[in-house]
Amino acid sequence: MGTLGKAIYTVGFWIRETGQAMDRLGSRLQGNYYFHEQLSRHRTLMNMFDKAPSVSKDAFVAPSASIIGDVQIGRASSIWYGCVLRGDVNHISVGSGTNIQDNSLIHVAKTNLKGKVLPTVIGDNVTVGHSAVLHGCTVEDESFVGMGATLLDGVVVEKHGMVAAGALVRQDTRIPSGEVWGGNPAKFLRKLTEEEIAFISKSATNYSNLAQVHAAENAKGFEEIEFEKALRKKHAHKDEEYDSMLGVVREVPPELILPDNILPGDRTPKVAA
Amino acid sequence: MATSLAARLTRKTLKSATIGPLTQSIFGLTRPFSTAVATDSSSSSSKIPATITRDNDERLKWDYRGQRQVIPLGQWLPTIAVDAYVAPNVVLAGQVTVCDGSSVWSGSVLRGDLNKITVGFCSNVQERCVLHAAWSSPTGLPAETLIERFVTIGAYSLLRSCTIEPECIIGQHSILMEGSLVETHSILEAGSVLPPGRRIPSGELWAGNPARYVRALTHEEILEIPKLAVAINDLSKTHFSEFLPYSTVYLEVEKLKKTFGIPI
Repeated sequence: MGTLGKAIYTVGFWIRETGQAMDRLGSRLQGNYYFHEQLSRHRTLMNMFDKAPSVSKDAFVAPSASIIGDVQIGRASSIWYGCVLRGDVNHISVGSGTNIQDNSLIHVAKTNLKGKVLPTVIGDNVTVGHSAVLHGCTVEDESFVGMGATLLDGVVVEKHGMVAAGALVRQDTRIPSGEVWGGNPAKFLRKLTEEEIAFISKSATNYSNLAQVHAAENAKGFEEIEFEKALRKKHAHKDEEYDSMLGVVREVPPELILPDNILPGDRTPKVAA
Repeated sequence: MATSLAARLTRKTLKSATIGPLTQSIFGLTRPFSTAVATDSSSSSSKIPATITRDNDERLKWDYRGQRQVIPLGQWLPTIAVDAYVAPNVVLAGQVTVCDGSSVWSGSVLRGDLNKITVGFCSNVQERCVLHAAWSSPTGLPAETLIERFVTIGAYSLLRSCTIEPECIIGQHSILMEGSLVETHSILEAGSVLPPGRRIPSGELWAGNPARYVRALTHEEILEIPKLAVAINDLSKTHFSEFLPYSTVYLEVEKLKKTFGIPI
């Protein structure tokens, strides 16, 4: 840094100090009502005394999710934004390739009235929809828990079982393999078709691919974010449709291209629940 | 002046104190507190206190930045209109558009990673809602989540690839599945579940799981719907005015970095 640079740096420092003093003055004037913003104190992974969560290296855990206590998460699983996995009184295990979608809650019970120990066990390739509440239950491999469903203590969802959206499954219910249960309290609705069973595992793989994109984005550092922001701004006016109308082919910088595996090739219809 | 001199002195002493692999790793550092950095230089883990890097696990246990509000995916950058209120702990990811005068309340997640999500003029998405878009909808319509103007979406609602036409009310805890359509001036009661591809005709009240027809709305009730949206818009404005355009947390970060001896 030259002498001029040094001088400007020092003047800048003085002005910043003045700015901070102005900020303090403003806060003082606002008095009791002013709110001082703090650094984030949210813990994504948190111990409970000696029980530490163990998360596989290639699982995606959103920074706004909280995983507390004795939780095990297998590889290629994804825990989405705002989820809470609270294994404080008992253990939670999530298999591989499972996705727990946004704002879900998974909790455990120490024991139920009969003294049975109730951990929460979620198998492989399970799809748990948004805002689901799973409390001390067992969800076996390749099953599907719909959006907003609630599973109470001791519920078992067998392999390829499905809980429809908004269902409330009462205590100690066993959802047999290949059936759809829905309603409040949950009742048997119908059998799953072969396509739907195939779709469940497919949706799990789609989700784990999607999670990789989110994981990459959320793990970015400050400089990387700023760089990509600048790139995006530079290429912003280059609208694809407009370009194709003009017959112009433009290159998108490699940083801004999403891996194409997040998008399923054949558009299978979504499971009707 | 005195403080600035002191600050510069301390920085200088710090610089001279930390020469070697530590400075090497810390200078070219984008994420100062990531444990990934701590693992590749064993000396820095002794410098940074144990509260931040407890073990050499590669995963970040505490991101000092918290969850980012706007998450761009590839070229998709969520857009927020200047006078829309989006609460600080909302997550907007991918193709999300929040139009003028609308509000997204705290704890909501709007994840447009597979398709578009639009929150229209003067609409509001209340607390802990999840809006997501599927790849395709069973009705063959475009599978984007479209919320038009003057729509009120209650707390804890779940919307997935549905279309809500202007001036509707979606009650709390309601679930709208793929391809459902709520036509103008209709109300969905609290806790209702709309199965895939279901259409609610104009001017009707529906409720239940799965949603059923209850009654037709009166003219007065229909007139009340936009008024509710405007009332919530007014409320969002008071919240919006509480937030400064830039937060002052960077000062905290700078202070913390200085105490841990990381040059800024």
